[in-house]
Amino acid sequence: MSLLEYLANGLVFSSIIVLGSIGLSLVYSIADFANFAHGDTMTVGAYASFAAFGAVGALAPGVLGLPAGFFLAALVGVATAALVAVVTERFVYRPLDTDSIGLLITSIGVAFVYRALVRIRYGADFRRYDVEPLRPIEWLVPYGVRVTEHDVAIVVSAALLVGGLHVLLQYTDLGRKMRAMADNPDLARVSGIRTRRITLVTWVVGAGLAGAGGAFLGLYNQLSPRMGFNVLLVIFAAVILGGIGSVYGAMLGGFLIGMVNQFMPALSDLGALLPLVPDGVAVPIGIEYANAVAFLIMVAVLLVRPRGIAGEAT
Amino acid sequence: MAAIADPRGYWGTLTRPERVVAAALGVVAVASLAGVVVGALAPAYFLYLVGLGGMYALLSFGLNAQWGFTGLINFSVAAFFGIGAYGAALATGDSSPLAGGLNPIVGLLIGVVLAAALAVAIGIPTLRLRADYLAIASLGLAEVLRLVFLNERQWTNGSAGVRGIPRFFEGWPVVETLPTALPGIRMELVPGSPVFFETPFYRALLNVVLVFAFVAGSFAVLRRVHRSPWGRVLRTIRSDEDLAEALGKDTYAYKMQAFVLGSVVMALAGVFYAHLNLYVEPGALDPITTFYVWVAVMLGGSGSNRGALLGGFVIVAIREGTRFVNDFAWVPIDGGPLRLLLIGLLIVLVMRFRPEGILPPQRELIWPGAVDDRPARRDGGGGNDA
Repeated sequence: MSLLEYLANGLVFSSIIVLGSIGLSLVYSIADFANFAHGDTMTVGAYASFAAFGAVGALAPGVLGLPAGFFLAALVGVATAALVAVVTERFVYRPLDTDSIGLLITSIGVAFVYRALVRIRYGADFRRYDVEPLRPIEWLVPYGVRVTEHDVAIVVSAALLVGGLHVLLQYTDLGRKMRAMADNPDLARVSGIRTRRITLVTWVVGAGLAGAGGAFLGLYNQLSPRMGFNVLLVIFAAVILGGIGSVYGAMLGGFLIGMVNQFMPALSDLGALLPLVPDGVAVPIGIEYANAVAFLIMVAVLLVRPRGIAGEAT
Repeated sequence: MAAIADPRGYWGTLTRPERVVAAALGVVAVASLAGVVVGALAPAYFLYLVGLGGMYALLSFGLNAQWGFTGLINFSVAAFFGIGAYGAALATGDSSPLAGGLNPIVGLLIGVVLAAALAVAIGIPTLRLRADYLAIASLGLAEVLRLVFLNERQWTNGSAGVRGIPRFFEGWPVVETLPTALPGIRMELVPGSPVFFETPFYRALLNVVLVFAFVAGSFAVLRRVHRSPWGRVLRTIRSDEDLAEALGKDTYAYKMQAFVLGSVVMALAGVFYAHLNLYVEPGALDPITTFYVWVAVMLGGSGSNRGALLGGFVIVAIREGTRFVNDFAWVPIDGGPLRLLLIGLLIVLVMRFRPEGILPPQRELIWPGAVDDRPARRDGGGGNDA
């Protein structure tokens, strides 16, 4: 595989991780706990999209090898994930009289309930969206890059969503309030911001992005009840690398961790890929340790720079 | 033992939840005994369940020493359980790619030493971290370990696991041959459904004896240290770490000691599991084990050893009870997801309605002699305590 190909794969995987990381980071900064149910929120989004796509079907021909029905189904996934998160917040987290550790432990229970419900409805088997598997885009193959139009769709959609969030945060009143609250909830409240409402919006945005991430993760790999939990630690690694509580840090962290993940096989082939490194030089570590490397990066960041790259003090 | 010397007076000293638990335990004990007598519950399987309950109780004790005493959020219970199991399996198992064929006692020592070493290795980087970071990091490190056990086939046999693990008492004089030497008994209290007490039953009985020895030993040690000055420092760290620092305690050292102590107890559970199951595979390190144990500790009451004991048995009831739902056609849910759902709901409900657990630590934190106006039977020499 060529360096360009690793880059392309990294970009696709990073897009998904970024979508997951932003939500986790948003909730971490506003509700102030590590939400272990975030990965399973992605699973909920993925399966809701799966169900919606089964119901609406292809509809019209769409773009990038995906029928219009798929994008509609992904929107249903986003909405479902957001709704589920808001209901959970209202009936589980809010009535609790506990600290951030109690919330963290509760969120593990919530994660199990989500996953159990998905398994009860859809079983433990792997599933796929009923879309035509595509061949790699032909004019890119001579450059050694093998990506499908679906991969491009994932990257473009993620870019649009992240861009939309950026506009929301920077150029709207709501976004300004969200940033103010992430910065200092008490100060935000005494300044007259209705913090309950902002918290709700944050959950909607965070879980919605997670739902989109789940839908695309299902398109990228396949669907299984454990899909979200399996990427949860990678997402934690991304959020901690970027700096907990910083949305832009989460984007950067997600991008870097996604890249590291996909560049793992390159390590055992380092000499042949890099120009100045002699052939035969390699880091002998298998791709099966891709997630392990992400965790080790995470622990290292926690030790050396717990505030992350772009992080604020928490 | 106050419970035997003066049952009525003993009952009077119990709190309401304690009475409910005691009554429920009585009902379960009577029901199990009845099940065995009428032949609905095979005696060997019943003892297997008891052994499993003891195993979860051990794991809960270990986590209790870390979370309940000291406030350390350890999400790598499965890793310590797994390392105990693999330590024993790799030392004694026939298909072990490393040593194999060693005496189970050696396996026990290897498992415990490996767990202590792993605890120090994980503890050094993570015990200084904030509580929620410790949770995430320990879960991540447990996953790293699971990946190593899954992928390093030359050491662990990979996903094939280690087979041919001997029973714990193999090679011991007398005890080894006891299950085959004892006469088989056939009882038929209810006509048509005889109950057998034969070699498998005696083997299961030996396993129960083993796990009870582990449980009793750990219980005694943990109760003793919890009440000691050392345990008091741990409790201070849990409630206010800055205060402990201000009092001149090296909190990091205390946390490390509690972490190692708890991890060694967890490894004991793993060693028992290896000799109970006679087969160990990387699934033993699956994170779900960690969360089973967390539920057990929270349900029982963080910091309470008898709560941990209770939680351990409740987990076995959920784990094994859900295996039978597939036998009933009218239950629309499969056993696997049902188990997950119950565990999840239990976590949420306990956190919501009884965060202190069913049997929170009460009298067990107090030296019997420390109570000023001590009622005659209040602590009864520890019979109803801890």
